Amino acid sequence: MKQALDLAVSSLLLGGFYAAMAYGLGLIYGVLRVVNLTHGGVIMAGAYLTWVLFTELGIDPYMSIPIILVVFFFFGVAMYWGLVRFLPRGAAGGVQSLLLLFGLWLLMRNVAYLLFKGDTRSIQTSYATKSVNLLGTSVPVTRIAVFLIAVVVLIALHFLLTHTFTGKAIRAVAQNPDSCTLAGIDVERIYMLAFGMGTALAGLGGLFVATIFAFNPETGAVELLKSFVVVVLGGLGSVLGIAAGALVLAVAESFSILFMPSFLTAAVGFVLLVVVLVFRPGGLFGEKVLR
Amino acid sequence: MKALTERLPPWLPSRVVIIFLVGFAIVFALPFFLPIPETLHGLMAQAFIFMSAALAWNWLGGYVGQVSFGHAAMFGVGGFVSARLLLAGAPLIMAWLAGGVVAAIYGLLWGHPTLRLRGPYFAIATIGVGEATRLVMTFWTSFTGGSTGVSLPIQGGSQYQMYWLTLELLAGVVAASYVLRKSPLGLSFLAIKEDVEAAGDVGVNASSYQDLVLFLSGLVMGLCGALYASYFAFINPGDMFGFDRSIGFVLMGAVGGIGTILGPVLGAAVLVIIQETLIASFPDLYLGLYGLLLVLIILFEPLGLSGLILRAARLGGYRPSASVAAGGLSSSAAKGRSPGAGPGRVLKEPPT
Repeated sequence: MKQALDLAVSSLLLGGFYAAMAYGLGLIYGVLRVVNLTHGGVIMAGAYLTWVLFTELGIDPYMSIPIILVVFFFFGVAMYWGLVRFLPRGAAGGVQSLLLLFGLWLLMRNVAYLLFKGDTRSIQTSYATKSVNLLGTSVPVTRIAVFLIAVVVLIALHFLLTHTFTGKAIRAVAQNPDSCTLAGIDVERIYMLAFGMGTALAGLGGLFVATIFAFNPETGAVELLKSFVVVVLGGLGSVLGIAAGALVLAVAESFSILFMPSFLTAAVGFVLLVVVLVFRPGGLFGEKVLR
Repeated sequence: MKALTERLPPWLPSRVVIIFLVGFAIVFALPFFLPIPETLHGLMAQAFIFMSAALAWNWLGGYVGQVSFGHAAMFGVGGFVSARLLLAGAPLIMAWLAGGVVAAIYGLLWGHPTLRLRGPYFAIATIGVGEATRLVMTFWTSFTGGSTGVSLPIQGGSQYQMYWLTLELLAGVVAASYVLRKSPLGLSFLAIKEDVEAAGDVGVNASSYQDLVLFLSGLVMGLCGALYASYFAFINPGDMFGFDRSIGFVLMGAVGGIGTILGPVLGAAVLVIIQETLIASFPDLYLGLYGLLLVLIILFEPLGLSGLILRAARLGGYRPSASVAAGGLSSSAAKGRSPGAGPGRVLKEPPT
């Protein structure tokens, strides 16, 4: 019972992190119909930028959130403007964008190798090893911080997408870009904005990774896979769907250690992905079908 | 000669058969006439393995349009099954074939459910397949030897023989590629690639055809893995199942030219050369170089190196038939109704 409670708390915290990490991927796919394979690379880059800001300039990881968001927003905008806008979108162009963004990811990984070498790094803040007692379980403070920030960001995003003009335009473009052109929405600008926002969120995911895990240039593949699992589980309907998908993945992963060896945990997400894609392609909650 | 021509199916001109046989004979006899240095001889055997693997990847990625980021799973399974059988005393050929068959069955095992997905969905699912396989295999030490790997009981002199063995495999795979591309079966694959639902409407059973392609692809992958393991007389799971290994197959296909026959062969050759020349001086650089190459190719020449050659041939006055131009990444027919085919520049003009 005690162990179940421990696992429940840790999976809730993990779920918040997964949701924030996955939202960028979901946003870009929802609006542009492009699976952003550089998502993993941006997460890796975000982790390294956080690390550089901390070790070189002494900026606390949580204080560098605005810097990360701004830097990666413009990185995403540049990526869209320089590369992605030339690609055909949708099911037919999927392979092209997939390969191009994949090539970009390889390039980013290599740059990271050249700049930082292959060794694993982590951020050692004064509070990195501190933990507090939560419902009888000892929980690291960084995990709680990540969870709270993730919740705040997701609520802010939800507000942005439902209550502002730009947000509504983004959702409209996701539904039907052609009608948006008729309604006077600059679809290209919305695409650029969505790509920038998605990339900024991936960068934030990288910051989270840097504060709670160790990382190296290889970081990103697993994160990409998990983000994708979350997006598929939750469907693209809403922030709530993503959060629920993230929670399902986190719970499945955390509780799997009760009945299988821990190295198989990483395979849980994949099995979940295949099962859901094959049996419930619209996501667990039967929301709008992604494709 | 005349009788032979009449017996060949219409999609197989006798010209192709002759070019194929002559080419095979020349490469087969090459080491007898030219003093090829030992290292180059071995490198060519490696290149033949990867050319076969790249072609097999291309059957799935190029012919039916299902890009796989997890083909190392089959490559590794083939390698380890053959290694275990060799250690148990099985004859070489038996061990290799068993490696191929087990790899193919393993491919079907994960492929049958996942191949119902299309495009990016399938691609990402295969990342999962590859990673899950790597994890399980790395920790399954009684089978794979864990991170220390397994040494194979291969005699010293047989490495030299691998040149001809791998060449025979490559010849078989090239022939199979041609059949899978040009025969009526190949047209069914093209239909699946262009539009699964429309293919189903005209009676092409996408599910079983895709299973068939994955089975064949897995068979060749397993054989390649087995030959690779025997060539080095040593394998470890990190090398055989690594994500970089899977990426390598994607890169060979995409850089050479997806959907073509010449492309993956060229792509594999270029990758092996780049790897050999860069690995000594800049061991970390070659994947990034390939990434850059991939970005440039998708932007400017989606058919890769073979597209460049086609372009050069056009300048020389060669007019390819429509079926040649119909290779490549995306279908022209589907482009018009893709949901977000917005104002972006269309990269590849439709075949005329």
